[in-house]
Amino acid sequence: MKNKIEISDLKVYYGEKPALNGISFDVHENEILGIIGPAQSGKTTLLKVINRTLEFTQDISVQGSVMLDGVDIYSIGDVYALRKQIGMVLPLPVGLPLSIYDNVAFAPRTSGLRDKVELDEIVERCLTQAALWDEVKDRLDSLGTKLSGGQQQRLTIARALSHQPEILCLDEFSIAVDPITTMRIEDVLKDLKNEMTILLVTNLVQQAKRLANRTAFMLNGDLIEIDETDVIFSDNPGQESTYDYVNGNFG
Amino acid sequence: MNRSELIIQIIALATLIIACVLVWILTTEVFHVEGDILSVPMDLDSESDLIDRLYRMIPLLCVAMLLSIAFAFYIEEWLSETTWYYRIINQHISILANIPSLIYGILVVCIFLFQVGKFSNFTLVLAIVFLVVPVTIQTTQSAIRGVDLSVREAAYALGANRWQVITDHVFPRAFPKITGGVFTVISRVLAIAVLLIIVCELRTSIIQDVGSYEISSNVFVLISLALLSCVLSSFLQK
Repeated sequence: MKNKIEISDLKVYYGEKPALNGISFDVHENEILGIIGPAQSGKTTLLKVINRTLEFTQDISVQGSVMLDGVDIYSIGDVYALRKQIGMVLPLPVGLPLSIYDNVAFAPRTSGLRDKVELDEIVERCLTQAALWDEVKDRLDSLGTKLSGGQQQRLTIARALSHQPEILCLDEFSIAVDPITTMRIEDVLKDLKNEMTILLVTNLVQQAKRLANRTAFMLNGDLIEIDETDVIFSDNPGQESTYDYVNGNFG
Repeated sequence: MNRSELIIQIIALATLIIACVLVWILTTEVFHVEGDILSVPMDLDSESDLIDRLYRMIPLLCVAMLLSIAFAFYIEEWLSETTWYYRIINQHISILANIPSLIYGILVVCIFLFQVGKFSNFTLVLAIVFLVVPVTIQTTQSAIRGVDLSVREAAYALGANRWQVITDHVFPRAFPKITGGVFTVISRVLAIAVLLIIVCELRTSIIQDVGSYEISSNVFVLISLALLSCVLSSFLQK
């Protein structure tokens, strides 16, 4: 199996405080990697390192290397092109102050796509994939920020898919989404796996169990264990703390 | 407040005082002479002349505001907040913006009307620049800072570059606050205009009454009082 992302000895500090203490793992191509762990374990920081939006935080330092297709992402000059390869869905929906159509068409337009027919196709495809098309197809011109919380979250997923990323990072996407919609999005993710690599950070261990091919367990900035999902959720994973967390003994 | 903050305050204060002295020298020494290219001497026989001149300042007002808004975007989006020049610029702007507009009005009247003895376009330009620029920059800055970081992160995560993030997301979100600031500034300018009109109407009689008006010491007392109050307020805010 080809490695899409290779992370080696990644250390991140917020000022003096360590957020990641030298973690190393690989992400295979076309897999769903579930990342589970309690709060403050560095899951979101890890995703922000990968698409380099961590740089907007003051006073951070990043050591170690993150290789995307064999290229160190911190040596890439064109950071905007890097971010176009990576779709990111944040925990709370951030509706950009644009219409629903423009929200989804924003990323293709920044890459210079102006053809109306093509844009229409992209918008319909992404909204359908995010299980939102049927609800909004009659009012694509209304403001994206006027949608309900769950709809806005699906809009951000559609937006993340709009530039056809190679990697899709989902950061606890189901917090603001109802269970039925969550299940629909999960079905979409299973289909999307054939086209892209998916990193799924989640607080719901059962979600990782349902979706992920492999699962990583993080705790206090350390990577405790990464293995096939079946192994992590079995009765005897590699580490005892993994068993305790997965079975709800702490966290 | 740590030591570097103090140093920056002192530098800001020193440059302001130097700027004031420069303006003083310019007005008394340079522009007092006949070679005042910027000014068209103006006889204030009719007040309509002054109002006419104020109308002609509207384009200048617009240009000053647009430039200030652009400059605010530059210092907020391109300059790093940790650099020393960002902090010095910020300190200057906050000191200048905190000076009550009345002080500017009195300064303008004192320096230009009584000292130079004539009321020129250059006077109005300087007054408007001092009145408009710092406050516009400050309100625009706070409007830009008010835009949530998550909006920027979301837009950057979609691969937008800095220019696209600013024009498509930061500016539309900051726009209502920026217009609010612009209206505040306009009201400041109008207030000073009213003051100037009243004073100019009284001008002739004042000059006749006072005779040789000892202006220099009074002006410096005014300047130092204004600066002192602003520096004190910026100390107290910390």
